[in-house]
Amino acid sequence: MSDNASFNPFHMAQAQFDRTADLLALDEASRALLRTPLREFHFSIPVKMDDGTVQVFQGYRIQHNDARGPGKGGIRFHPQETVDTVRALSMWMTWKCAVVDIPLGGSKGGVICDPHNLSQREQEQICRGFVRRLARAIGPEIDVPAPDVMTNAQHMLWMLDEYEAIHGGHMPGLITGKPVGMGGSLGRTEATGYGLVYTLREALKELDLRPGDTTASVQGFGNVSQYAIELYQQIGGRVVCVSSWDQEDKTSYAFQRAEGIDLRQLRDMADRFGGIDKDKARAAGYEVLPGDAWIEQDVDILIPAALENQINADTVPRIQDRVKIVAEGANGPTTPEADRVLEELGVFVIPDFLANAGGVTCSYFEQVQSNMNYFWDKDEVLGKLDMKMTAAFHAVYELSRKRKLPMRDAAYVIATHRVATACRERGWI
Amino acid sequence: MDLMETVARFDRRGGADGPRITRIGEGDLGGKATCLVQVEGEILSRLDRHAFPGMEVQVPRLTVLATDLFDTFMRHNDLSGIDRGNLSDEGIARAFQAAELPSIIVGDLRSLAESYRVPIAVRSSSLLEDDLRHPFAGVYATKMLPNQAPSADARFRQLVEAIKFVYASTFFREARTYARAAGRSIDDEKMAVVVQQVVGERRDQRFYPTLSGVARSYNHYPQGISEPEDGVVSLALGLGKTIVDGGACWTYSPTHPRRPMPFGNARALMRGTQARFWAIHMGQPPAHDPIQETEYMVQPGLKEAEYDDTLRFVASTYDGNSDCLRPGVGNPGPRALDFAPLRLFNDVPLTPVLRRLLALSEEALGGAVEMEFAVNLDRERGTPAELGFLQVRPMAVSSGVTIVDEDDLDHYRVLVASESTMGDGIRDDIEDVVFLDPDVFDASHTGEMALEVEAIDRQLTAEGRPYALIGFGRWGSADRWLGVPVNWSQIQGARVIVEASRSGMNPEPSQGSHFIQNLIAFSVLYMTVRHEGPGRVDWWRLTGQPDRSSARYVRHVRFDTPLTVRVDGSARRGVITRND
Repeated sequence: MSDNASFNPFHMAQAQFDRTADLLALDEASRALLRTPLREFHFSIPVKMDDGTVQVFQGYRIQHNDARGPGKGGIRFHPQETVDTVRALSMWMTWKCAVVDIPLGGSKGGVICDPHNLSQREQEQICRGFVRRLARAIGPEIDVPAPDVMTNAQHMLWMLDEYEAIHGGHMPGLITGKPVGMGGSLGRTEATGYGLVYTLREALKELDLRPGDTTASVQGFGNVSQYAIELYQQIGGRVVCVSSWDQEDKTSYAFQRAEGIDLRQLRDMADRFGGIDKDKARAAGYEVLPGDAWIEQDVDILIPAALENQINADTVPRIQDRVKIVAEGANGPTTPEADRVLEELGVFVIPDFLANAGGVTCSYFEQVQSNMNYFWDKDEVLGKLDMKMTAAFHAVYELSRKRKLPMRDAAYVIATHRVATACRERGWI
Repeated sequence: MDLMETVARFDRRGGADGPRITRIGEGDLGGKATCLVQVEGEILSRLDRHAFPGMEVQVPRLTVLATDLFDTFMRHNDLSGIDRGNLSDEGIARAFQAAELPSIIVGDLRSLAESYRVPIAVRSSSLLEDDLRHPFAGVYATKMLPNQAPSADARFRQLVEAIKFVYASTFFREARTYARAAGRSIDDEKMAVVVQQVVGERRDQRFYPTLSGVARSYNHYPQGISEPEDGVVSLALGLGKTIVDGGACWTYSPTHPRRPMPFGNARALMRGTQARFWAIHMGQPPAHDPIQETEYMVQPGLKEAEYDDTLRFVASTYDGNSDCLRPGVGNPGPRALDFAPLRLFNDVPLTPVLRRLLALSEEALGGAVEMEFAVNLDRERGTPAELGFLQVRPMAVSSGVTIVDEDDLDHYRVLVASESTMGDGIRDDIEDVVFLDPDVFDASHTGEMALEVEAIDRQLTAEGRPYALIGFGRWGSADRWLGVPVNWSQIQGARVIVEASRSGMNPEPSQGSHFIQNLIAFSVLYMTVRHEGPGRVDWWRLTGQPDRSSARYVRHVRFDTPLTVRVDGSARRGVITRND
């Protein structure tokens, strides 16, 4: 759907920051400090492979800013990982934590590797090696990693175990995304998708729309989309189209049903990566369309929750007049050019780092619980999550209304202002 | 416009300045909440507040969780599938506690818990509740919360547990039985929940209103110069649970508030009036027990009320020298809750306000009504006072087509004769009589009697045999010293109920209790017989019948020929006659 070859996410993140800095009339020192990461760790992880050879993997941990609290951000295992991607993501984490007002900074980590080609033991060695390189640079009070692309709870447990072995003692607050019962938090699985719907619900209220009168089309059928659909349906909304990646065909398909999709049924047809079996779907009455058909549906709400760069100059003209809200579940799904078009069309955009901040907010709750070694029930976790997300939405919405800014700009202004203020109050600038 | 749409959505940013009545969810508001919306819009808006200086009347601030949230809760947790028939109430409550509330509202609930810093009542408001024909009064749970923990987390947890408990009560045994008897399917029931501020004030480790009451515009038991249309008011110190559970309270005519209560003497009055009251416990948190309705409630005595200085306007003091009661608590001596300072003096315009509210409610509902309220008085002067209007529902009043003459009461075939009845109608399908054995009756064993009655009831209900139930004191009182503490489901097959008195078990008929309201709704004929007369029970004939089954305190007899039961709703006379 898009050409990602020339796309440099860090340049995009810096451009967004520059625009916000102008809006805030930020001083030069603040710009210089916030435009680049505070610390970068580039390191090599040698691993003795199962075949007896030794392979060296390149790892990164980028700590963009920790003025508001310990760094927070995932660790990605990806063969195409680049340091600029990690830099951009660490900066976005700073803004994301700030916009929902949790006391954390922004970090990100990555290892250039492809877990599909690695045994469990080899992956474990990478995880342990990653921690050995960073044992002094991460910690519950320094920088708190989490799962991200192609890493999961098992990877986190290996990392935690290595860290605790190095430092001695139990420190479950080091890392989040742990399994429930092993220091994980209830509600974490649902948090990003539910968090998106909490902000969507508030947007509907502000636009004076009843959820029961609206329809939506969703890109992606992973964890975020599934839980977003679940809660959106609970409040009465109807999802008429959802797209998913087909691993076998190496392409995506959109599954459309005018009377609304049956979430439970589609889950039963999906593999563990969220790929929906198109033959079963067709048999169940879904129309199977090309993957990008999700964007041209005649619906009130679009939820891009798969990849970055999906609503761009090429695709934005295909958005129907009826669309009133775009709620961004994925990171960076809308390009600046498309953003401008959406603004002209009067589409209400809930920007990614606000809409999908439920995940990191719940990670923060997990860390708090882990540090206390006292765990809340699910109602309590989700109640707190809703409070945070709703408060964040309204803070952004109010500023957007008062200063007549697009929601994305308003969110950046709030987040950047908070971080810049923290740096100033600490006497850094 | 749909009534629901007239109620503002709960807005976390509203705080104390937002609308007094708000909703969360898009579904139905349920009977109780709908009624309170109407009270605010159609009754209180017409009240001339200047006519009652010092008395502020309002519906306490509330938020309704609409029925669509209940639907989501049931569906999301797959609770329709649990084996309700074989689970005890406790088992159902535990299953509901383990379930999760709809994620879309937990943030609003957290905000509620954070914004309300006064005790709250979590009340049922089901679709079937407060229906005229079958009001489901008191069938579902209400939970009172102190809501005073410093931690918002703790307050939120209490609120969530209370909502789940109220949801669970939809399927408790009594509710299922009631629904079945009303010809409804419990599966059609949907529960909204009202989260409402409690009227009252913190006093030491307790929170309660000075008094609570039930006012009815029609009196089933008028006495002396009173007429049924004069209405009747029942008052109790503290929370209204005392009255709706059928406990000892003070009942008077709002038209003749100065008329003394018919106790033989002051000492009898001392024994017959309220000695304990309900309050919300504000002290050390109790043991965690989310499936207990009274988890956060206490029932202290008058000594504590005296310490709290809440008796000033509600009690009189016994003067041993003159063997009479003096209104107020100016002098030392035993206290009796006869509400004399309020009834006799005009410092607080309670009775005039109640009369006016009853009249306005009758106009709004188009017939006889019953209202529940709570009042908190200024400790020193009585006013300013706050009257919280908690509920109003239509009353079923007998149409009075059956005629029972005075002469009918004296016939030799009469088994029971009463000049104080509720309901109207004739039955000739009753052969079975279940009664408390007068020879072994002991007021300290009324709890065991309740279980014995229940066992016989189950058998007769299974056989499809309606029966007459005769006993001493108030049936259905939660106070086991005032009568047998059955709940409605334990006597569901009784079609005629007789409350007889005897020495030492001689309470006033309770008109304000939910138990009585539900009996009336099911056209159960009700007779009261005082042992001093008028009226009688032919105990000799009854006890002479051979037993069909018997237990230690309860006997079950069967007549060869069906009895005839007639109750005259106009004359309030009733008879049960033999036809053998």
